[in-house]
Amino acid sequence: MKSVPMVAVIQFPGSNCEYETKRAIKNSGMDSFIYRWNQWQELRDGQPDAYILPGGFSFQDRVRAGAVAAKERIMDLVFSEAADGKPLLGICNGAQILVESGLVPGWERGRIESALAANHINGRSGYLSRWVFLNVASKAQRISPWLGKTGNGVIPLPIAHAEGRFVFSEENRGRALNSAALTYCDEEGIESSDYPINPNGSFLNLAAIMNDRGNVLAMMPHPERAFWLWQLPPFLPGEWGDRIDQSFRSGSYAVTKGPGSLFFTSLADYFRGER
Amino acid sequence: MGNTSIVVSLKAPDPAAITAMSTFRRIYPETCPDSLERYDYWCFMNPRRGRETVNGIVSRYHDIVNPNKQTWTFIDDINKLAGSDDSMLWIGVLVTDIIDSVSENWTAIFRRNCCEVEGVLCSVLWRFGFAPGIAFDTARNRVLDLTVSTYRDHGLLANPVSQKIDLSVLSLI
Repeated sequence: MKSVPMVAVIQFPGSNCEYETKRAIKNSGMDSFIYRWNQWQELRDGQPDAYILPGGFSFQDRVRAGAVAAKERIMDLVFSEAADGKPLLGICNGAQILVESGLVPGWERGRIESALAANHINGRSGYLSRWVFLNVASKAQRISPWLGKTGNGVIPLPIAHAEGRFVFSEENRGRALNSAALTYCDEEGIESSDYPINPNGSFLNLAAIMNDRGNVLAMMPHPERAFWLWQLPPFLPGEWGDRIDQSFRSGSYAVTKGPGSLFFTSLADYFRGER
Repeated sequence: MGNTSIVVSLKAPDPAAITAMSTFRRIYPETCPDSLERYDYWCFMNPRRGRETVNGIVSRYHDIVNPNKQTWTFIDDINKLAGSDDSMLWIGVLVTDIIDSVSENWTAIFRRNCCEVEGVLCSVLWRFGFAPGIAFDTARNRVLDLTVSTYRDHGLLANPVSQKIDLSVLSLI
C-alpha cells in the first residue's frame, strides 16, 4: 500500500456523483483518482487500495439500473480485486451495479442473488428523493472497513432513486439478515416497514447490504452528499440536528463534518490500522 | 370479455434496445440476435367494450402513449409496425416486475376514473430477430440465455429475483 491510500472512483457514462465522492475521499485524508469505464488498464496500473462506484445513472439506467455497467470490462478487474478482499463501496447506482454484478450478497461467486427493484410505495411510483435515518447493523460495523467508525447513533443521509428496494428470492430470504449493513429507521432508531421510514418497501428495511467478508458494501443512501454538516437540512430531528445547533453557536458550522463523513473516515482509519 | 394488450414504441430508435444490442454484440458475439426491438407492453384486463375501451384510454392518457414521440398498436398487429422484417424469425419475451407500483397505480387511476377496465399490467416486450435459417428451438434457447440474468456474465434483460419472464406472448406474434 502507498503512504497515502488511494481510492479509485469509477466513472461510467451517466455517473454524476464522482466529483463529490472524490472530494469526500480527499477530505478524509486519502488520495483519489477518477477512472473512466474504458480505462481498465490505467486502473490496473494505478493499483488502488479501494474502489468506489459512485451514484448516477450509468448507461442512462437503460434495460435495468446497473445491469449494463455490471457487464463492462472494467468490472472484471473490480470483481477480482473485491474477491481478494480490497474494500469496495457502491453508492446508489453503484450499489445497483454491485447487485447486478453478484458482488453482494456474494454467497455464490458471481451469482446474482438479489435485486434492487423499483420502489414499491402505495399510491406513487418512480423516483424518490428525501432524507432518511439509518441504523448500522452491529456485525457490519464490526467487519466492514466502511462502517467501523459509524458509532452507535442514528445516521441521517439523503436518498435519491427509483429502484432502491432490496429483494431476495424466496429461498434466500432467511440469509438476507446476515448481509444487512444499514437499515431504515426513524430519528429514534426504531425500524418500521411503513412509508416514509422505509421509503421504498425494501425487504427487512434494508438500505445497504454487504458480502460475507464485509469488504463490499452496497448502499442506496448518498454519504458524499452529507459529508459536511452544512449539507444537512435545517431543523433535522435527532442527534445530528442538535449538532447543527451546537456548531451554529460555536461558529464551526461551515467546517464541521457531517454524518456522511463517517463512512470515509472509517476507511481511512481502516488503512491506518485503527480498528 | 378477455384481456386486450397493446405495444408502445418510440418513433425514434429505442436507446435501451440499442444499448442492449451493443452489449449483446460485445459479450455474446456468437449468439447475439440480428435485431432487437423494445416495446412498452400494456395488458388491459377485461375492458368492457374490448378494443373500443382501450382506444379510449390510450387517447385520453398521454402518459401511456405520447403521440408526439410514440406510436402504438394492438399486440396482434405488431408486425405492421414500421421496421418489422417479415423474413426474420421473431421471438418475443415479456419481462414483468413481480411487484410493480406502476401497474398498481394505473389500476387505481382507472378504477377511480371509471375507465371500464378491471386493471392493467405493465411489462416490457423485447423482440429478438434472427436471420432466416436458424431453428426455432435454437433461437428460443438463445433468447432465454440472453434474457435471464443469473450471473454477471450470463444474461442481461431480466433479473429473475425481481422479475418474471413470459414466452407465451410468442403465440400472439
